[in-house]
Amino acid sequence: MSNKTVIPFGPQHPVLPEPLQLKLVMQDERIVEAIPAIGYVHRGLEKLTETKEFTQNVFVIERICGICSFKHALAYCQGMESLMGIEVPDRARFLRVIWGELHRMHSHLLWLGLLADAFGFESLFMQVWRDREKVMDIMEETAGSRVIISTNQIGGTRRDIAPEMLAKIDSVVNEVKEDVERVEKVFCNDYTVKHRMVGIGVLSKENAKLWGAVGPMARGSGIAEDVRTLGYAAYNELDLEPVVETDGDCYARMKVRLREVYQSVDLIRQAIAKIPDGPIHVPEKGNPNGEVISRVEQPRGEALYYMRANGSKTLDRLRVRTPTFANIPALLKMLPGHQLADVPILILTIDPCISCTER
Amino acid sequence: MIENVQNISVESLLRYVHDMLFNGYRFITATSVDNGDGTVDVLYHFDKDLEMKHLRITVNKQEEIPSISGIYFGAVLVENEMKELFGLNIKNIVIDYGGHMLLSDDELEAPMARQITIINKDKGGVPQ
Repeated sequence: MSNKTVIPFGPQHPVLPEPLQLKLVMQDERIVEAIPAIGYVHRGLEKLTETKEFTQNVFVIERICGICSFKHALAYCQGMESLMGIEVPDRARFLRVIWGELHRMHSHLLWLGLLADAFGFESLFMQVWRDREKVMDIMEETAGSRVIISTNQIGGTRRDIAPEMLAKIDSVVNEVKEDVERVEKVFCNDYTVKHRMVGIGVLSKENAKLWGAVGPMARGSGIAEDVRTLGYAAYNELDLEPVVETDGDCYARMKVRLREVYQSVDLIRQAIAKIPDGPIHVPEKGNPNGEVISRVEQPRGEALYYMRANGSKTLDRLRVRTPTFANIPALLKMLPGHQLADVPILILTIDPCISCTER
Repeated sequence: MIENVQNISVESLLRYVHDMLFNGYRFITATSVDNGDGTVDVLYHFDKDLEMKHLRITVNKQEEIPSISGIYFGAVLVENEMKELFGLNIKNIVIDYGGHMLLSDDELEAPMARQITIINKDKGGVPQ
């Protein structure tokens, strides 16, 4: 029996775009235990929201995470609208679906590129990110910026999308779908890719639920749960079935995200076909009072917002539980028993967002 | 207004959380809110088939709270966070960072607990 050694993985590592450290207790090449060390990008954003007016908070919230900034703002705005009894115009609800699904597409394409980069498939990485650029261009054309698009506001949206632009979005997302269909063959059938992911990091359905996994991580383990099916924004008027895989390994999580890109294309096209004319915003009146919970399905999974207001312009409390925060405990339980060489891919398949986690 | 909130005592917390596990609920997270009167509300959020239930305890700031991480391992990060940012006295967390998960040693202690009153001078000095 050999002695145990502790290997620090991160905070700076080629596979991690953001700083996260895992202290890996190893026995030879096998992991025995993993302990996370976080705190490298904690910014105290929840505290900051207590000092800003509730309307200003939308801009703070969006900066929790660049990749899912729109969804953060959506969760916050929906919570405030619920507290203040605001009914959002129909057109704004559909616009929220379109921008929200564009965000999911660019997040998943970003992740697929990072995955290809992690297993050393540079040309695949370049192809996926080239496809992602088309989505980013739509963001820029519709909102004026590529990442933090600031189109949500309490009571609706800040911007509208013209009919010609909607037609263009319809065409571009279809083009992206065809592009992804081409690279899908490599992701799903390439010998090396499968060798690195099939049977690695298996999370059973029971354990996914027990350890609180959410999003593609839970759906890759056979849990058919997606907060969008609750019908917020305009999802109640669109055909939507959660994407589910049952093997629970890294490969299954990758397939869920790939298929969710197609699902987003489908939802955007449905929303464009059904979007009504009309106003995009109703002004809020007064100040919020009471407490509320708002949930949305971000690209990485369920995000929960808790808000308590006291009738003034500032909130008593705003709490954000992001999907990576929920998925880290399951990651810690999955790592033991794996080899050190599997760690980068295993960490990557939870699609960690440390800015979200630490806020 | 939040639906399905049950106010319970600290002593009965672990029993209720065990019941949640037994009934197939997923632990979402916990939220602590400083009430400003020396007490803190801690809400534990659970989900089953996308329906939420919440348990609420109200504790004095130094009162001992048992950790639920032995029942739901997913609570380990949020309990450390509440301990660190709100100064809650949570006992027996499965992985206990001792109040240094997010912040360094020289940071303000319990920065999320209500310590500062912001006076808005434009509104006649009324605390906001």
